Amino acid sequence: MSYTHKYRRDDDCKVDENRNKGSLRWSHCRKRGADGSVRGPQREAESTQSSSKREHRPQRPESFTTPESEGPVSRIRNWGDEVEADEMRTSVRRDMQRYRRRILAGEFVQRERKTSSGSSDSRDSRDSPAPGDIETDETVLMRRQKQINYGKNTLAYDRYIKEVPKHLRKPGIHPRTPNKFKKYSRRSWDQQIKLWKVKLHAWDPPAEEGSDLQAVEDFDFDMECSVDPEIELQYPKSTSASSSLPQDSCTGTPSKMMKLDELEIA
Amino acid sequence: MSVCTGILVSKHCVLKRMEDSSKEEYRIQSFDMETQKLLKTALKDPGSVDLEKVSNVIVDQSLKDQVFSKEAGRICFTIVQAEAKQSSSSVFRRNLLNRLQQEFKAREDTRKKSTQEWVCLVSFICNIFDYLKVNNMPMMALVHPVYDCLFRLAQPDALKNEEEVDCLVLQLHRIGEQLEKMNLQRMDELFCLLRDGFLLQDGLSSLGRLLLLEILEFRAGSWTLSETAQKYYYSEVTD
Repeated sequence: MSYTHKYRRDDDCKVDENRNKGSLRWSHCRKRGADGSVRGPQREAESTQSSSKREHRPQRPESFTTPESEGPVSRIRNWGDEVEADEMRTSVRRDMQRYRRRILAGEFVQRERKTSSGSSDSRDSRDSPAPGDIETDETVLMRRQKQINYGKNTLAYDRYIKEVPKHLRKPGIHPRTPNKFKKYSRRSWDQQIKLWKVKLHAWDPPAEEGSDLQAVEDFDFDMECSVDPEIELQYPKSTSASSSLPQDSCTGTPSKMMKLDELEIA
Repeated sequence: MSVCTGILVSKHCVLKRMEDSSKEEYRIQSFDMETQKLLKTALKDPGSVDLEKVSNVIVDQSLKDQVFSKEAGRICFTIVQAEAKQSSSSVFRRNLLNRLQQEFKAREDTRKKSTQEWVCLVSFICNIFDYLKVNNMPMMALVHPVYDCLFRLAQPDALKNEEEVDCLVLQLHRIGEQLEKMNLQRMDELFCLLRDGFLLQDGLSSLGRLLLLEILEFRAGSWTLSETAQKYYYSEVTD
C-alpha cells in the first residue's frame, strides 16, 4: 500500500512522521487504500518496520462505519488528536440534546421570524428556532465549536466573564457567544465569530507586550483594541503554565493555552 | 462440575481471585523518590510540571512493572482531570496517548524481545481504556488497538504461554463487557478463536485451558460467573 505523505509540523506529537495524509482526498467517499481495501479510522501509515501490522489486517472487519467514525476521524492519525475530536463530538452532541430540551421547555423568547435574505440582522440570537430547525450537521457544529473555543480560551474572555455576570449583560454592549445551533450561512457565521472576538478584545489585559498577540486564529490584529481604563492589573493564572510548557502554548503570551490548536479545521 | 462445553477438565489447579486494588491508590512505590515527588506534584498542580516528561515516566514504568501496569490508568485519569480543571487543556493526555500509540505500533517487536514487557503493554493499554473516559464514555480511538492486542494474545503461539493467557483473561474480565458494547463483532470473532484454541490446540497447559474455559463461561454468562461456576473455578474442590 502506498500512502502519500505531507509534512506536518507537530512538535509535541511523538508519532513517527510517516503519517497518512492521503485520506484527505477521500473525505467525501469511502476511504480506500491503493489495494482497494477499505480504510478505517485506525489505519495508521506504514512505517518501515510495520509489516507485522499487515498480518492483523485480515482480522479487521471490512468496514466499521459507526456513527462515531465518520467525518473528522478520517483525517486524524494520532491517538491524541482522535481522542480530542472524539471529546468535542460527544460534547457537541450533549450540548445539542441540552439545547433541544431547552427549546422544548420554552426557555427562549418566541418571536415571529421575519423572512429575510439571510442577513444576520434579522436573526436575533434571542429568537428561538423551531426544534426541527436547528443545525445538526456534526462537521459544521464541530467547526463552530472549535471557533468558539478559540475565543473562549483567551484571557480576555476569562476577564469578561468574571467582570460581567450573565444576568447583568446588556445587549449590544456586552459580547454574546454566537449560537452554534442556529442555521446560518458559513459567511454569516464566520462574520459573527469575528465580530464577537473583536468585541472581546475590550477585556484584554492592560498594556502587556503580548496583548496584541492573541489567539493564533484571530485575524483582526490591526483593529484598535479599546482598553477599559478601569482595568485592574490582574495577572492570569495561566502565564506560568504557558511558560513551563512551551511545546504546547501557541505563542507563549498572556493568552491561555489552547487545547484544540492542533486540530485541523474541517 | 459446571462445564459449559461438556468437556471435563481435570482440575489440578485452581484460579486465584483477582487482586483487590482499592488500597494504595496509585501504586507509585516502585518509583524512585524524585519521580514520586514529580507525580505527586502533577496530581495537585499539573501546570507546574513538564507533562510530557510525566507521561513518559508513567509509560516507561508501566512497561517494566507488572503491578503498576495494571493500575496506572487511575493516576493518569486523575492527572487528566486535574489539568482540565486547572487550565482547560489536555497536554498530558495527548502526550500519553501518542506515546502509547508508538509503543502499540512497536508491539510485535516488543513481544519478541520480552514477553513480560509485551504483557505489561497490553495491561497498560487496557487499563487506560478502562480509566480514561471521555465525557463518561470509553475512548473510541482505543477500541481497535485493544482488540488488536487481545487478538494477538489469542494466537496459537501466545496461547501456549501461560503468561499471555493470564494477561488475556485478566483484560477480558476487566473490560470485556465495555469492549463488547463498543464492537460486538470483534468480540464474537475473538471468542471464536478462544473457543477453538481451548478445544483444538495442542501445547496448552492445564492452567491455560482452565483459564480459557473460565473466560468462555464468563462471557457466556453475560460477563459474570454463576455461583456454581465461581465455586468450581475459585475454590479447592476434591473431585
